[in-house]
Amino acid sequence: MFNLAMARFLLTRLAALVGLLLVLSLLLFVLQEISGADPVAASMPHAEKSAIDAKRHELGLDDPAPTRYVRYVGDLLHLDLGTSFRTHHAVTTDLKTYLPPTVELVVVALVVALALALLFSVSSVLRWPGSGLYRGLLFVGSTTPTFLLGIFGLIVFYQDLGWLPASGQVDDPDTVPASWHWLLLDSLVHGDLGMFGDVAKHLVMPALALAIGPALAIGRIFRSSIVATFDSDFVRTARSKGLAEGAVLTRHVLRNSVNGALSMTGLHLGFMFAGVLVVESVFSRPGLGSYLGASLDVSDFPAVAGVTFVLATIYIVTNTVVDILQGIADPRITV
Amino acid sequence: MSTSIASTDLATEPVTGRLGRFGRWQVAATRWVNWVIVGVLVALTLVALLAPVIAPYDPVQPVGAPYLPVGSSGHLLGTDNIGRDLFSRVILGVRTSWLMALVVVAVGLLIGGVVGVVAGAFGGWVDAILMRITDMFLALPAAIVAIAVAAALGPGLRNTFLAITVVWWPYYARIIRGEIRALAARPHVEAARMAGAGRLRIMAKHLLPGVYPTALVTASLDIGAVVLTLASLSFLGLGQSAPAPELGADTSRGMNELLAHWWIPVMPGLAVMVLSLVANLAGDAVRTLMAGRR
Amino acid sequence: MGNSAPVAEPAEPGLSAQEPVVSVRDLTVSLARGGVRSEVIRGVDLEIGRGEILAVVGESGSGKSVMSLTLMGLLPERSRPKVGGTARVAGVDMVSAKADQQRKVRRNDLGVVFQDPMTSLNPTTRVGKQIVEAAGSKQEAVRLMKEVGIPQPEQRFSAFPHELSGGLRQRVMIAMAIAGNPQLIIADEPTTALDVTVQAQVLRVLRDLREQLGCSILLITHDLGVAAQVADRIVVMQQGEIVEQGAALDVLESPQHPYTQRLLRARLSLDTDRGRSLPTGADQEIVVLDRARARQGRILELTEVHCDFKVKDAQGRRALLHALRGVTADVTEGESLALVGESGSGKSTLLRAIAGLETRWEGRIDKPGRDDIQMVFQDAGASLTPWMTVEETLHERLRRTKLSKADRRRRIEETLALMGLPEATLKARPAELSGGQRQRVALARATIVPPKVLLCDEPTSALDVSLAAAVLNLIHRLRHEFSMTVVFVTHDLGVARFVSDRVAVMYLGRLVETGPVEEVIGSPRHPYTRALVDAVPSARKELPVIVGEPASPLSPPSGCAFHPRCPLATDECTTTLEGTQLVALDHDVAERERHEVACLFREGVKA
Repeated sequence: MFNLAMARFLLTRLAALVGLLLVLSLLLFVLQEISGADPVAASMPHAEKSAIDAKRHELGLDDPAPTRYVRYVGDLLHLDLGTSFRTHHAVTTDLKTYLPPTVELVVVALVVALALALLFSVSSVLRWPGSGLYRGLLFVGSTTPTFLLGIFGLIVFYQDLGWLPASGQVDDPDTVPASWHWLLLDSLVHGDLGMFGDVAKHLVMPALALAIGPALAIGRIFRSSIVATFDSDFVRTARSKGLAEGAVLTRHVLRNSVNGALSMTGLHLGFMFAGVLVVESVFSRPGLGSYLGASLDVSDFPAVAGVTFVLATIYIVTNTVVDILQGIADPRITV
Repeated sequence: MSTSIASTDLATEPVTGRLGRFGRWQVAATRWVNWVIVGVLVALTLVALLAPVIAPYDPVQPVGAPYLPVGSSGHLLGTDNIGRDLFSRVILGVRTSWLMALVVVAVGLLIGGVVGVVAGAFGGWVDAILMRITDMFLALPAAIVAIAVAAALGPGLRNTFLAITVVWWPYYARIIRGEIRALAARPHVEAARMAGAGRLRIMAKHLLPGVYPTALVTASLDIGAVVLTLASLSFLGLGQSAPAPELGADTSRGMNELLAHWWIPVMPGLAVMVLSLVANLAGDAVRTLMAGRR
Repeated sequence: MGNSAPVAEPAEPGLSAQEPVVSVRDLTVSLARGGVRSEVIRGVDLEIGRGEILAVVGESGSGKSVMSLTLMGLLPERSRPKVGGTARVAGVDMVSAKADQQRKVRRNDLGVVFQDPMTSLNPTTRVGKQIVEAAGSKQEAVRLMKEVGIPQPEQRFSAFPHELSGGLRQRVMIAMAIAGNPQLIIADEPTTALDVTVQAQVLRVLRDLREQLGCSILLITHDLGVAAQVADRIVVMQQGEIVEQGAALDVLESPQHPYTQRLLRARLSLDTDRGRSLPTGADQEIVVLDRARARQGRILELTEVHCDFKVKDAQGRRALLHALRGVTADVTEGESLALVGESGSGKSTLLRAIAGLETRWEGRIDKPGRDDIQMVFQDAGASLTPWMTVEETLHERLRRTKLSKADRRRRIEETLALMGLPEATLKARPAELSGGQRQRVALARATIVPPKVLLCDEPTSALDVSLAAAVLNLIHRLRHEFSMTVVFVTHDLGVARFVSDRVAVMYLGRLVETGPVEEVIGSPRHPYTRALVDAVPSARKELPVIVGEPASPLSPPSGCAFHPRCPLATDECTTTLEGTQLVALDHDVAERERHEVACLFREGVKA
């Protein structure tokens, strides 16, 4: 698999990755300029104007924009995202607290979404009694806003059935050891299965609410590419060799259908990052959503920029990985 | 001039099948259903435009007892915690969401269309630069960037609109540019050049008309996505500030009442879903209708 | 022969001739497309004996491909096929048998070669693995690859389809088809997507397989010549029915059915009467063609035209594609010149350079003004703007004339009549027209203001025989009506011989032979031209031995580019410069009568 063309392909993808991160930093820098957020004024609410100006000069905030941009990129490289106006902590410190629950939720939701996508696509390719109605339901599901899915979940599984908890990460936050950030992972690593079950139970509804939209979108793309691939000449060839339908599906159809679904997955990760903020709010979970919400309320731009930077970076890196996976799945792409 | 030398052989061309009675009926029914769906879309737009007239009450003033349930007389969707009429709020929320979604798509299409057409028609370095910029936007997570932009610009409807449009036009630029390139590679453009058509004429007569169907279908399929994105942003607190009615924000504010008075958050949420559903159905319908034309 | 037999034994030809491998009785098939159901096959009876090669010949819409899919049991479900009658293959009825049984037949008794090897192979799976699926083991797969003449099978085993040439891809398909020694191979237009010299090789492989394996072959083709060369028996189909069947030579030499007769007469071979228009329909009036000599004076002069394209090679590296490598040629006013060559020869690039559509060339092209050159394209449908009506399309050419509105109207009507198009065509868009009508509209556009030079880029290669013949007649007539010069690009020597006075043969960006068409085709001097002439299929003609495929224009061989494939090549040919220059055989004749050849052995091999 590894050859010159592949190496060239990998190199161009990595170069594009670096370029995109630079673009992201420039975008955030420009937005920061537009927002007019002034860290000095925010940190010295009662100071004289001259004192503020002196402080600004000391910090180099009156330098020309290009100089400040270069310094900004340097700060980002050192993972210095500035100081939150609201918490007065370094944004990086805040993120260490709020990122893990969000990432755990997104990862679980992504796995659920992929599993559901496979289920939806294969079950709707087949024709069975009621499959028309089923496809209709899937269509309606794909148009439902995330928060409404969460609300329906709360009404049915919390209020009516009482099966699942409504809010938070665990039943009693005080029982969680202070050093644990990745609750799902840490409870598993430390063998605390009771805690693990508790955390998992709290994840079910948020993860489903977050996963259903992307699952339907990915599933729809996957389904249509499976249908299209089944019509292609090489599938006819495979059948003419006398292969069983199962072998035709696994050896010839799936691999050639997976690319559209992969791109869609990459794209939907972006929607999930936005969706997770909504879902955290619906289920009152701690995480980037609550952090961002609180920051938005007081126009705490460094915090907002920090959240944007982290999520966008994860998104860009993941999509680069997806690109590379596609190159491996289809040898024609690397050329 | 002399008579034809070549008409008789037309008889030897393959005879295509004829539409059976059932086939014709089915085709007609599908078309009819699709037109009805497009009609619903138009009706929804009219409702949005006439919302202030349709709404029975002032949406921001308490007009009845608080917590009136769905189906109360005079308050079809009930009232909220301070006695404002939910139906009036939903109708005006629909107006904001729907009209804004239409404007975002229209403006996005305009910007993306101009960029795409210029890039596609000129090719070369113009194309390279424009598409490099477009691809950068596309490689960033749209919703997250929109949140950052909205946060930088501050609250308000105009800023939310700007934030979404900034991240939305690149999709159209990409699609339209691709379509123009694909059309430009077809022999009919070269044939038109041989026939003496100039650059402008080729653009206007041989390229652009081929883009309209794709643009229309893409745009109509997209309205639903914009509605959902707007609702999410507004749910997160980026949008009109209170007490103006807005579907996402009303759902978010109503969350506290969910368990005791479910209709307060559910009604505006359902309205978002209906908008998105109608938009998606209409998008599919437009696609089917256009496919028949092409 | 029961379907319970574990492995089909290859039968000796004639051993059990009384028991046919394929037996079709009263077969009817109807398919639905977009809510429209039509009868595609109407009552077909057919048998293929053991070791027999049967060719099914027909134009598009004849139902020949649907019949082959029926025999495989692979009619597309989406078109909701309704099938009546029986179609037994190796004793199993592929109409009524259970899916499992049908699959067993495909696995053990049947091999298939489809038309387009590019799309018919899985693009993401190595070809070796695809052969193993049919062959069972890697060893067997490599053996099969060797058997169908794939050089270096061990290396090719791990290649992806896009890394192979068209000929090799089709050999891979054949290797899969013969895995497990099937009793029947179905080859559905197996050579239509290939170059003519490669076509001969693939046909030879197929026919040799019959000798070696004793299998029967069902060859589906639109080309009577191909059928004649390979088949024992020929079946002619028209609109879902068999109109004639019999021994190959009988059908070709004394066709009974009027449709077969018409097909044969419309078909261009190297013996076609050039003096008359081609018959296209039963009641077609045959006119004597005016082959008056061209006038004096050059209308086109090409001097050392080079053309390189920047492309990416198979490894994604930047590379130069040498499309034209120094072409010098003249065209005399009023003559018709055919440019002949295979894919990669540069013939289309040359035409586009003359048209002004290609601008990346160097050298010199002297030609008349822009309005005096018009062109018709290979894919007439794609050359018409889909959303413009025929009237709008024709109007476009009249925009720059000073004709009054009424005059324009009259001109359009006259042109339409000349093309044999009904008046109603004016309001139609291309999608509403048939293939033949589209090419007429394209011709109408090109000639509504008669140009001095008409460029034709394979305008008939996508059309059925009888439609192609009609278009060729039309071009001939227009040429004389308007005293036009014609430059006609084609890969088909039969077409070239009919449409042109002079022919220029191209190979990898250079002219290798030019001269009066009958002289060049009648006594070709360049080994490549000879190979092309030999490759034209016809009855009673042995399949030629032609080695190799055209080299890639990314790296044309040094010296004479044909030397790796040339039976006459010597060491000198690998470096020669002289052998790449056109030299006249006889300098005493008039310039446009000269026969020029670019070969060291133009006078024949020296003893």
